[in-house]
Order: sequence, then C-alpha cells, then structure tokens
Amino acid sequence: MPDTGSYVSIDEANMTELTFAKIDQTVLDTLKPPDRSYWVTVGILFLGVLTGAACWIYQILTGIGVAGMNIPVAWGTYLINFVFWVGIAHSGTLISAILHLLRAGWRNPIARAAETMTVFAVCIAGLFPFIHLGRVWLVFYMLPVPNQRNLWQNFQSPLMFDVVAISTYFTVSSLFWYTGMLPDLAIVRDRATGVRKKIFKIISLGWTGAHEQWRHYARGYLFFAALATPLVISVHSVVSWDFALGIAPGWHTTIFAPYFVAGAIHSGLAMVLTLMIPIRKIFHYEKIITTGVLENVAKTIIFTGLIVGFAYGTEFFMAWYSRNPVEIAIFKYRPTGDYAVGFWIMVICNTMIPLLFFFKRIRTTIPWLFVISIFVNIGMWFERFVIIISSVSRDFIPHAWGLYSPTFIEFGIMLGAFCLFFFLYLLFVKHLPSVSMTEMKEVVDQGASHAD
Amino acid sequence: MPTEYSVMGLFTDEKRAVSAIEAIKDSPWQLRRVNSPIPSHKIADALELKKSKVGYFTLAGGITGFFSGFLLAAFTASQWHLIVSGKPVIALVPFFIVGFEFTILFAIFGNVVGLIHQMQLPEYKGLEQYDPRCSGHHFGVTASCKAEDLEGLKHFFQSKGGEVKVILNGPV
Repeated sequence: MPDTGSYVSIDEANMTELTFAKIDQTVLDTLKPPDRSYWVTVGILFLGVLTGAACWIYQILTGIGVAGMNIPVAWGTYLINFVFWVGIAHSGTLISAILHLLRAGWRNPIARAAETMTVFAVCIAGLFPFIHLGRVWLVFYMLPVPNQRNLWQNFQSPLMFDVVAISTYFTVSSLFWYTGMLPDLAIVRDRATGVRKKIFKIISLGWTGAHEQWRHYARGYLFFAALATPLVISVHSVVSWDFALGIAPGWHTTIFAPYFVAGAIHSGLAMVLTLMIPIRKIFHYEKIITTGVLENVAKTIIFTGLIVGFAYGTEFFMAWYSRNPVEIAIFKYRPTGDYAVGFWIMVICNTMIPLLFFFKRIRTTIPWLFVISIFVNIGMWFERFVIIISSVSRDFIPHAWGLYSPTFIEFGIMLGAFCLFFFLYLLFVKHLPSVSMTEMKEVVDQGASHAD
Repeated sequence: MPTEYSVMGLFTDEKRAVSAIEAIKDSPWQLRRVNSPIPSHKIADALELKKSKVGYFTLAGGITGFFSGFLLAAFTASQWHLIVSGKPVIALVPFFIVGFEFTILFAIFGNVVGLIHQMQLPEYKGLEQYDPRCSGHHFGVTASCKAEDLEGLKHFFQSKGGEVKVILNGPV
C-alpha cells in the first residue's frame, strides 16, 4: 500500500487530469445506491447460489454416489474446481504483494479488486473439499483437535499440508485485504452520513492518517507483502504436491510445483481482466484503470502463458526421455484419448490464444482483452480437468481403467460456486471501495517524475 | 481561560505542509501531529521519524509459528510411532513444510498485533481532534502554543498558505 518508491506506468495524460478529489469522487460515486438492474443481477446470481446449495443438500441426504466419481476416478469436478479457484486466488496476491515489492506502479489501480478476488476465490475453493468429503459433518477430522481416541492427522500427507496452507492463505489474504483498506474506509467514513457513517467509523478503527499511524502502517504493510510472497508460491506448490507426491502416471513429477504456480497466476490474471473490464465500464473507471494498466496485465499473461506452454512441452519430453512405458502411455492418451477435446481446449486456450497479445492492437482493444481472458479461464479449468481425470482413469492396471463424466449434481454445484463468487463480488463493488483511493493518490503524488 | 491551544494548519499542498513542519521545529511552538491522506516520505523525513518496531512483533510471531507448526506435527506423529511411507516417525522434510506455513501464519498474526499495539487502534477519541478533509486532499499540521502565542501561530499557518483551525484547548 504505501508505495512511495514505486514507478508508474499510467498514462501521463490521465495523470495530469487526476486529482486527489477526483479520485475520491470517482470511487465514492460507485457506492451510491444502486439501480434496479443491479439488484436484479444480484437476485439472479443468488438463485444460482441456491441451485448449488440445493444440489449439495441433495448430495448430503443421498450420498456422494450422486456425483460421477467412481473407482478409479475418485477425484472429479470437486477437486478440479478446488484447484481452479485456488489458482484464481493467486494473482490477487501476485498483484498486491509481489508487484508491490517489485515497485510496479501499474498494479495500484487494480490491486484492491484483485485482493478481493483472492479472498472470495479462496472462500469458494475452501468449500470444495467440504463438498468432496460427502459426509461433511466429519470435516473436523481434518483439524488437529484433541479427542478421546488420541487420533491425529498424518502431517506427512500433502493433503494435510493443503489444509494448513489453504487455511493460512485465507487468513493472511483476508487480513492483508482489510489492513490495506483501512485508510480508504476512513475516506468513506469522512464523506458518509447516517448509518453508513456509523458503520464505517467502527470498521475504520478510528484511522486519522496521523504520521505515527503511517509510520507503523507502511512498515507493517511491507511485512505483509514480504510474507505473502513466499506464501503464495508455497500454497500452489502444496496443491501441486497433492498430485506430485502420488504415484499416478502423469502426476509423479518434479515440474508440478512451478508449473502449477505459473498456471495459477495465468488463470488469476485472466480473471482480473474478466472482472475489471466490466467494472471499469460500469463505474466509469477509465481514467483510473487505463488501457495501459490492462495492457500490462495482458503482457504478464503472455509471460505466464509461455511458462505454462513450456511446462506442457516439458511433460511430454520427460515422458519420452524417461522411456517409462506407463508415462509414455498416459502422454499419448491425453492428446488422442477419451479426453482429447479437453486437452486441446487446454493447449489452445492457455498457450496459443494468449499469444495474440503480442499484437499491440489486440492487447489495447478492450473487447479482445475481455474475450481472450474468458478463453484463458476456460482453458485453465480444462487444464485441471485433464491433469486430474486422465491420470487416474488410465492407471497402471489396464483392467482397472475407467471413465468419468460429471453429473447434473456436480454441474449444479459448479454453477452455484461461480454464482457465489460473482454474487459476493457484486456486493463488494457496491458497498466497499473497489479501487484503492490512497494508492491512486500516491500514484498522482509521485506524478510524471516516476512515470514509465 | 485555557493556557494552551492547539491549532491545525490545513494545506492542500504537500510541500507547504513540509515547509510549515520545518519552520515549527525552529519555533517555540510544539509540533503535535501531522495528518495526511497518503504516506508521505517528505513529511516523514521532515519529522525525522524513527523506523517502526512492528517488525519485532512480526519476527516473534514467525519464530513462534515455526516451532508451533513443527512441534505440532512431531507431537501428533509421536503418539503412535507408526512408520508411514517408510519415513521416520519424526520426518524432518514434511514437518518443515508444516512449520513453514505456521511461520507465515503466526508472523502475520504478530504483524497485526504489532500494528494494533503500535498504532493504538482502535482509537475513536482521536477523531475529535481531526479534520475529515485530511483523508481527502488536505495535509493537517497541528501545533500547540501558549494562550498568548495563539494569534502568532495562526498567523504563521496563514503565512505558509494554510487554512487555520483551532481544534482544541490544551495539548493533543
């Protein structure tokens, strides 16, 4: 947050137009009472959430057999969605923490929105292991709670690493998000009236921007960023070890941790574009979230897309070079077998379509940015599908092979999860500042002397 | 009749606020507080602020976290002495991962406790001596003076291009 050393790549023309007062006004205007179309959209999304909840309740009452998971494919869409949403969460921390440490000023206009995306995406991701459990009331078995049988978790298991890592990630990203928002909550408090003023007075904790507060705050925020950076890398590494520490062909590989981290950031950045482009249009953020900012996100997507593409290629190379017949078989199966459509969607959407961003005209054209971001989101979902499903459906023993396809219940829960994410996000953008006013003021304060 | 007054000068320009701070340091008035909408390095330099001690809380949290995580895993494993996957009962590599995650978690807890302790938040009384414009685009420099110097202090802020606000009788 206190980013006084950063350089800025926001268009200079916009910089000269923006003032502290204009920034405040633009962001505070987004908190005005919404019109009917907003509530209609919220209502539709809530219906989607109810659909998902109904499907989950049906599964709890009937049994996990209503999902399409079977032997040998015991991990289905619930785990796919878990990995997908954890991945989405990652770019929020990349933007708020890693780019903060790298002094990349273009992150400032989108940092709040990305952090919020992180918090909500981790919430959604955290739901899926609950759903996958079947007997969800036994979820406390995952927690180290003293019990009369003296039974404890196996902390040698990557699944327990995951419990610890995801819980830590949720806690840290929530605290980071709230701490970063304190000065902005005070701005809303100082301009609000009535009940809203009272609420914001409490949640801004009496922040006054006194020099003693800034002194500690700047230091504390730096530590938040410094600690969140290794955390974000460790979390998706741990998620990858859920697979890599197993022996299934196509999973048991050392490349998984960096491959998953790059993929997570790839999908998260795409989701940032998917969310920011409509918000920018609806809330008239054009002067704050400039085309230059979106272009920088697109350039980063090229980079992560190339890493992901390199990882795809490396997997095939390692299978061929190892001469391991089981590995070779699974990597022949993926592009040509039962899930070949998913595989090619993954390859095209994640590695080929993002290459269009090499053309400046495309990466500076808003509709192109939006459409390509959707393709990357789809591709990254299919990446998890291909990794999780194909390996276990063609295990070591041919007579135990099997196929998997999701059921309506699984699709319903997936729909509910997506609706819940956008439902929470819509509530956020109308009730809390979706752009960090303080960080934008810092950008303006540094002005052209720090411009790119 | 109060014997001491606090006066806030409100500046729309950071440089003028810094100039006022520098001038107050060489005056008989007491500089009490500076409120600003952004964390300003120029103001921090003018005030010659020391480095925050929040980091000590963070460090203490991190050290506590590592040992908590590692020892939790070691304690739970030692309850049954079962060999899992051929690894030792107290397996260093996997338990280090648990220790690492707890390090980050507890370091963040320490950081938050440090921030709350050092910033003394929540604290709502400070709002009484505060001008809401300071969260917008004003820099508020507050100084205190004796009753007989009140006019001089007000005149000083005006001469520096600030708007004057007598915020409280007595020190803040």
